[in-house]
Amino acid sequence: MTVSALKAKDYKSEIKPIWCPGCGHFAVLAAITRALAYLGLPNEQVALVSGIGCSSRIPAYVDSYGFHGLHGRALPLASGLKVARPELTVLAAGGDGDGFSIGGNHFLHACRRNIDLTYIAMDNRVYGMTKGQASPTTAADWAHSSMTPQGTGIRRFQPAVIALAAGASFVARAYSGDPKQMTQLLVEAIEHPGFAFVHVLSPCVTFRPEQREWKHQVHPLPEGPLSDPGQAAQMLHADDGLGLGLAYAQRLPVWPAPHQASATLAELEQEFVR
Amino acid sequence: MNTVLSGEISSVGEFLAHALEMEVESAERYRELADAMQVHNNPQVAALFRTLAAEGHVHAQQVMQHAAGEDLPDIAPWAFKWTSPDGPESAPLDEVHYLMSRRQALQLALHNESRGHAFYLQVAEGSANAEVRQLAAEMAAEEGAHVQMLRQWLAQEGDSEPVTQDDLDPPCQPG
Repeated sequence: MTVSALKAKDYKSEIKPIWCPGCGHFAVLAAITRALAYLGLPNEQVALVSGIGCSSRIPAYVDSYGFHGLHGRALPLASGLKVARPELTVLAAGGDGDGFSIGGNHFLHACRRNIDLTYIAMDNRVYGMTKGQASPTTAADWAHSSMTPQGTGIRRFQPAVIALAAGASFVARAYSGDPKQMTQLLVEAIEHPGFAFVHVLSPCVTFRPEQREWKHQVHPLPEGPLSDPGQAAQMLHADDGLGLGLAYAQRLPVWPAPHQASATLAELEQEFVR
Repeated sequence: MNTVLSGEISSVGEFLAHALEMEVESAERYRELADAMQVHNNPQVAALFRTLAAEGHVHAQQVMQHAAGEDLPDIAPWAFKWTSPDGPESAPLDEVHYLMSRRQALQLALHNESRGHAFYLQVAEGSANAEVRQLAAEMAAEEGAHVQMLRQWLAQEGDSEPVTQDDLDPPCQPG
């Protein structure tokens, strides 16, 4: 390293985050920029795509190409971009509502396709931008929203387990209060060939202030990375949702396959335009 | 004094790489916190964090001068030898609140600077390399002066300020 080497701040834009002070998303931003600096990726070779929500504002704060897309549509946008521009490092980011409710079906198929991109889901178990409603990952008995004064009564969505069932080839869980581990996991996810899912526990200090206690409750996963998705799913299912680490990593065929035929626009025109 | 080091720092290059990371990150963190407080309409605390960022920047520049021409090792972000999640001198991102007072911000800064001081002292006491010990002791003395300065600022702040301010537009959340 020399003093002039790339630093995390070289990947931060001039736009000031509007997240609440204390929000876990600041640490995710720091970890992403540290990971990019560590990998030495040129800013113009990185694209960060998001949907809608507090966490989905993150492309504005990173000095790379960015796309702040439609609600729940980060993954199809990111997938299309990666297929069209495979030389780019593509990251998709968003929250639990964006990724697992509005974008839930896209999540399943992104896992299944195994396109070479990294999906960072910043989970605070609440819709923060709309002032605190229950999300798919909120506990059934959370009764602190006027929309669900007695809780939703619905079991929580288990993002990491679902990702495994849907065929994701890299599944990890990080915590914003442990930026060292989160940075390492993000580096591994970006380097992983295929769809890498990083589920980040990122407290909402405004609408879920009790999540500040996560720092005393998180713990390492009992084992990992496992190479059997069934065993990894079993481990994650038995976990309390606060276990951290790389649960599963496996090299699986990446879509689109490298041998896929390509054609120029002129050739396509000859085929279809008469 | 709590342990802030997770291993021995054995070369001048390794020490300077740690010092540089710690000081740059700390200054940058104060700048980010100042921006966040400004966005959330807490101008008093924003101004304080801005001042601390400027102080931190000066210190980072001093370390950078020490490091100029040195061959610093390439250390992965997760491999720095401190026990804290971030650098010892960086304000923890989850320890702030948009309604925090100047006094709380100063207490946080004092905590951070004390950890930075402890880092240099522990290197000065624990390294097997005499050159590292001497350099760390010099930096510990400088950091000690920062700690004293913050103690004075805190004493001048007085006890009369309320712990939290009123929020005229609170989050709509049932009690």
